[in-house]
Amino acid sequence: MDTASLTSTPLHRGAEADLSLATIGPWKVVVKRRVRKGYRNQILDQQIRHDRTISEASVIHEAKTAGARVPSIVGVDIENNAIVMTHLAGTVARECLDDMDKSEAQKLLRSIGEQIGLLHTAGIVHGDLTTSNVIVSPSGAPFIVDFGMSRRSVEPEDRGVDLHLLQRSIIASHRQNPSSMMNSMIRGYEEITGKKVASSTWRKAREIARRGRYFAIR
Amino acid sequence: MCLGIESTAHTFGASLVDSDDRIVTNVNSTYRPPVGVGIHPRKASEHHATVADDVVRTALSTTDGSAIYPDVIAYAAGPGLGPCLRVGATVGRALSAFLKKPLVPVHHGVAHLDIAMSIAKARDPLAVLVSGGHTSILVHVGRKWRVYGETQDITLGNLLDMFAREAKLPSPGGLSVGKEAMKGETLIKLPYTVKGNDVAYSGLLTAAAMSLRRQGNLADLCFSLQETAFSMLSEAVERSLVQTRRSEVLLAGGVAASPRLREMIGSVAEDHSASFHPVPIEYSGDCGAQIACSGRLAFNSGITVSTSDSFVTPRWRMDEVDVPWIPRA
Repeated sequence: MDTASLTSTPLHRGAEADLSLATIGPWKVVVKRRVRKGYRNQILDQQIRHDRTISEASVIHEAKTAGARVPSIVGVDIENNAIVMTHLAGTVARECLDDMDKSEAQKLLRSIGEQIGLLHTAGIVHGDLTTSNVIVSPSGAPFIVDFGMSRRSVEPEDRGVDLHLLQRSIIASHRQNPSSMMNSMIRGYEEITGKKVASSTWRKAREIARRGRYFAIR
Repeated sequence: MCLGIESTAHTFGASLVDSDDRIVTNVNSTYRPPVGVGIHPRKASEHHATVADDVVRTALSTTDGSAIYPDVIAYAAGPGLGPCLRVGATVGRALSAFLKKPLVPVHHGVAHLDIAMSIAKARDPLAVLVSGGHTSILVHVGRKWRVYGETQDITLGNLLDMFAREAKLPSPGGLSVGKEAMKGETLIKLPYTVKGNDVAYSGLLTAAAMSLRRQGNLADLCFSLQETAFSMLSEAVERSLVQTRRSEVLLAGGVAASPRLREMIGSVAEDHSASFHPVPIEYSGDCGAQIACSGRLAFNSGITVSTSDSFVTPRWRMDEVDVPWIPRA
């Protein structure tokens, strides 16, 4: 798939990649292009962008196959280190969570927990799970996006990092009560993974928080 | 006038900083282990005890030879090698008791950032601290430095030093590897490990050392090691910069002397329209001036310690230190 010939409008500039909007036939798509980093040796740079583009596209596809709500991969442009995926209409959770009343927010978090449960059960960890990487569709269903840091892993440590990062972002950026939010999330998570995995992952998440490796909560 | 005493690892140093934050004197003596060998803590501490008298005396003298008496004595209380820390702390306690001047404990890593910020006149930067003891990306929140990203195993300084020892290159390893890297051309594939905002260097060290034992080309290996290790850190710095939206990037610590690392972190800062403040090379490595600079700021914030409580702390995390003097005016 060649994305160079697509007419697209810029959407967002991240640390690693640029996102832009385009149209292919009846579909609105997002093009995620990993851009060349000036500081990095050119060969190393190309290798990293190439490897990550392939790995991210395949993880997203695997997550989709496992039944998680994620974008659909439309195509991969290996020459240009770009992934083309379906555009998701909706609002970023970071922006709408605080406008919800408590029961609505709890319902959303429970549903986010189910999605994370589906990913973890499929052997996928997200690696950068914050409320900025959840898009809430007009019907209220959460989609998980940005698998740039994701990996295949079934380690409690890696799964714990996912829950920890989500908790950190809820504490740092939202006015909703963090413990009630996380309780709802865990209930949804447990429904998918079962009690055993849920309790070991949550234990690990709290342990990671205490290590103080990540900021904001101790 | 604040006297600072540094003795956390290989360097014993003493320095005076005046009330306008100017470095008046800065005298340092560094223990150099033989090629292929690391710092032996006891031998380094013996070196410190031997040179302490001369170093402090010189730091407290004006150019015409008359003595300057400090108003505050600051010592590096940690983190570092226990035997080395105790030499500096003993000298600090003795001077404080004899001159009847207050004693201030200083965190060596915080001090690296303080001197870099003083010289750059940085206000509230994203700080990148790279040395033998630290590899951390930090932002100041509330009263403390918060670790935004860091190494999960060995530091960047460790990596370069240990590889240099393996390759029989002289200490400091960063300088030797950097020189050798200039002759390298071919990039050898080595493990590249970035986890979120964190990096991990131990796998990279093992792979590079194994390649060396298989008679790999030394210049190419040094080149590849440096490119890979610095790129990992630069990527973590870039992610942190985007997330924290700081407008200044500070680069401090011994490895900040590397021209290639300065170039790379500078490029990350430029890409995100942040100003870049690398510490001047003469103050990048361990020195008395960093302790004097940080000690003055701590004293002005009311931090002192009684002689009986003036412990050393060989393991002391940066995010445990109270640093109320940031953002700087």
